[in-house]
Amino acid sequence: MIDSKEASAALADIDDIVRRVKQSQLYDLASIAAVWWGVLVFAGNVVTWLWPVYAVYAWVAVDVMGVGGLVALRLFNPPHHPHGAAFGIRLLLVFVLFFAFGYLCTNVIGHFGPRQLGAFWPLYFMLFYALAGLWFGYAFVAIGLGISALTLIGFFYIGEAFPLWMAFVNGGGLIIGGLWMRRS
Amino acid sequence: MAELDDIIHQPLRLKIMAALNALPQSTGLEFARLKKLTGATDGNLGAHIETLAKAGYVSVDKAFVGKKPQTTVTATAVGRGAFARHVATLQEIIAGKQV
Repeated sequence: MIDSKEASAALADIDDIVRRVKQSQLYDLASIAAVWWGVLVFAGNVVTWLWPVYAVYAWVAVDVMGVGGLVALRLFNPPHHPHGAAFGIRLLLVFVLFFAFGYLCTNVIGHFGPRQLGAFWPLYFMLFYALAGLWFGYAFVAIGLGISALTLIGFFYIGEAFPLWMAFVNGGGLIIGGLWMRRS
Repeated sequence: MAELDDIIHQPLRLKIMAALNALPQSTGLEFARLKKLTGATDGNLGAHIETLAKAGYVSVDKAFVGKKPQTTVTATAVGRGAFARHVATLQEIIAGKQV
């Protein structure tokens, strides 16, 4: 028989491995979402750079396909959660509030131009990434802060090619970040 | 008085069972993922999985994904029960119900 100190150490080992398994599962799903959004954001920025007149349609399509992809991901990977349905509704409300607040800031309180919009949405998105990382894992924080920093550099120092810069920084960053998360 | 499970009590086997038990029933982990989570070497992990499989605590499925062999390890119902009892015993020891 073992003493209570050894038993505590064994339970701590169990807690640690369970935490890592759950984080690994979360990273698996988050990496698919990040790569999916990365591809869409890359395409959205390329359209914005090449055909600015169609940018608004491109970004509506990006948002619809992005959220649709997350819904599909969730349907194929149902949560093992005692309040799964309530959790799903909360997730949907998160997106509604996210886009409503962003729209309020960019179109009602402020009247952002294309360049400001091109910087605001990635920074806003990455803020949530970084905040989520404080609970769910350092990879989210690293991706959030990294893309935010590169977005600001582009905003202040890149000229006409800013959408192209954002295609690689935001779209490419999410793709690389997602693949890196998968390996973490 | 409940006894600790000698098969599960070994540190690496405890980690393997804890990892598999954290998954939904009938969901397994690939060998490579299990190796990363436990920090074990190939040989060591393979040997301990074999011990657990002989006890009926895990099932091992080998398949080919493309041209690559993939081994998936899953906790059985017997293994989950044994793990739950082992954890309960550890908690009893901490609570001072066993010495």
